Amino acid sequence: MTPKKILLAKTAIDGHWRGVSLVARALRDAGFEVVLSGMAKPEDIVWSAVDEDVDLVGLSVGGHIAVVHRLLDQLAEARSDLPVFVGGAIAPWGRRELEERGLRVFPPGSKLEDIVAAARDLTNAEQ
Amino acid sequence: MTDGNRWTTSSGLPIDPYYVATDRPQAGYEAPPGSRPYVRGSYPQMYRTKPWRIFQLSGYGSPEEEGARIRFLLEHGETGFIMEHDRNTADHMYDVDHPEVEARREDVGLTGAVIQSIRDYEIVLRDIPIESTYGHPGGGVVQHGPFALACYWSVARRRRLDLARLPGTGQSDYFLTYLACVTKQQVPTRAGLRFNADIIEFCVEHLPRWVPVSIAGYNGAETGLNAYQELAAVLANAVEYLDEIQRRGRVSLVEAARGVGGVSFRVSMDLFEDAAKLRAARKLWHDLLAKRYGIDDAKAQQLRIHSLTAGSAMTYQQPLNNIVRGTIMALAGVLGGTQSMGVSGYDEALSIPSEHAHQTNLRIQQILQEETNLCGVADPLGGSHYVEALTRGLEERAWEFFEEIQNRGGFLECLDSGWLHAVAHENQVSEQSKIESGEKRIVGLNVYEDDVCPFQVDGFRSEAEEWERARDRLEDLRKTRDTAVAKQALKQLEVCCRGDENVMPAIMEAVDADVSLGEIGEVWRSVFGDWDTPIDL
Repeated sequence: MTPKKILLAKTAIDGHWRGVSLVARALRDAGFEVVLSGMAKPEDIVWSAVDEDVDLVGLSVGGHIAVVHRLLDQLAEARSDLPVFVGGAIAPWGRRELEERGLRVFPPGSKLEDIVAAARDLTNAEQ
Repeated sequence: MTDGNRWTTSSGLPIDPYYVATDRPQAGYEAPPGSRPYVRGSYPQMYRTKPWRIFQLSGYGSPEEEGARIRFLLEHGETGFIMEHDRNTADHMYDVDHPEVEARREDVGLTGAVIQSIRDYEIVLRDIPIESTYGHPGGGVVQHGPFALACYWSVARRRRLDLARLPGTGQSDYFLTYLACVTKQQVPTRAGLRFNADIIEFCVEHLPRWVPVSIAGYNGAETGLNAYQELAAVLANAVEYLDEIQRRGRVSLVEAARGVGGVSFRVSMDLFEDAAKLRAARKLWHDLLAKRYGIDDAKAQQLRIHSLTAGSAMTYQQPLNNIVRGTIMALAGVLGGTQSMGVSGYDEALSIPSEHAHQTNLRIQQILQEETNLCGVADPLGGSHYVEALTRGLEERAWEFFEEIQNRGGFLECLDSGWLHAVAHENQVSEQSKIESGEKRIVGLNVYEDDVCPFQVDGFRSEAEEWERARDRLEDLRKTRDTAVAKQALKQLEVCCRGDENVMPAIMEAVDADVSLGEIGEVWRSVFGDWDTPIDL
């Protein structure tokens, strides 16, 4: 069975890599194929998601929540069926906004096993 | 904490149920504070004559807002200030209309003010007496250091202040730039070494009271290096600077060593290990200078330490508990004999600090200084069998790790190859798995998760309009400056960069001629190129 493919992207040009690298490793260990887009611009993240034909996008948020909203709109426009989840230092007010959009949010202190479980759930993966 | 059935410190040193006199190192550690090898403190009277400096990161939004936050902190008892910059622009040396910045325009101003020219520096520093206030103009990232210092010093020059008496510190930190928080674009590590050596030489000649660059072990520790790895990597970093100064032979190595000996360390939740780390750091520095460089000068040998409480120890869950954590970590810094300190906010995991969190950071330090009698006696842990054994244990392991870095080609090579990143990453994975298994217990996160707090801590909320304001200021700069003078100064800077003379005079001329941050960044990119980042993210 082909593994499900996940794009992990940072929304800001902020290179704190500790969080995203831990998540990438956990997802790979769980059998997912992980594509990292580094500090790509929002339009390039959308392009990668389409071009790589991924099953899920994970956004590592290091900046303002407004960028995340804009990116989510662009992703929905490009591929309305594509699930997205987010993580990072997201203030509670921003977390509420994202949860109201139906997203799962993983703030600091989240367990990797919960992130992996969410990835399985969102991609209907059996691995 | 335990590792299987063994109790260990957080860096993995095995610890016994109690300690006795024979566990202690036998000689070389008991000299009083202010005496070689300075284990017990760099100064004889320590906090009786000079309490540690309360030194917090601050700023966001516009230069006006950043200046207001700094003045707020100074009015409330801060005794030095650190300017925070917008990372999108400053760390990358981009103006706000650079496509990379414009693509995420709402992020701009979130992590610090957008400061693109000397005019912006003048706005931030308005009403701040920089001749008598210890300042940190930013420049945490290596390629930003020369710009930040040049602007700040040029403001001082415009105020007709004597640079030779100006107090403050630069940073230009390799741990931040090449390990902790890699940028999308950055000058290579070798070009960074030239910048830092130029800054050190310039300070030796013109700003003897200024700390030219500050090696921030903190950023290494926050990326995953443990206590002795952090100590060793700081030494390995210093060796790169001092070897380069020695190779160039333009200024006195002793005076350069005085400048390089202002460093920072992380203080975290392992109270005694973190206090012991600062004690070990002073001895390691003394021994490094004496043995490797034959430096006997007391001022050079007395390491000055800035301590920062671990942002990563602050939990998102039940954030008010972080006030207790901040206090414990700060206590480790004081017991270890720090010279200055920054405490991270209780909302650290949520956002940049709110004004209230910032005030609380000051209050933690003020309570420790004013109410606890901690300032009365230097090195109160000296003579503790346990702490002396820990100090020795960290020192031994730090030398081993230092040798390993040297054997792998030195500190810069270990950054270029990604070896240090790999070491840090393995530690991150191990720590995360201990938290998930419950072996490492964190209150509110994996134990005692119930919460009845009546206060809503919602995180700082900034507006997303700073980009437009910064672009307007930039356009005004370009319109109203003397274009010919700016162009000429920029050209001179490029010529200087292609040669090997000190870059600081030319960059000071350039910023004084209203050359912008991004224009100088263009020079860096065309002359020095881009660092090949060794990690995927």
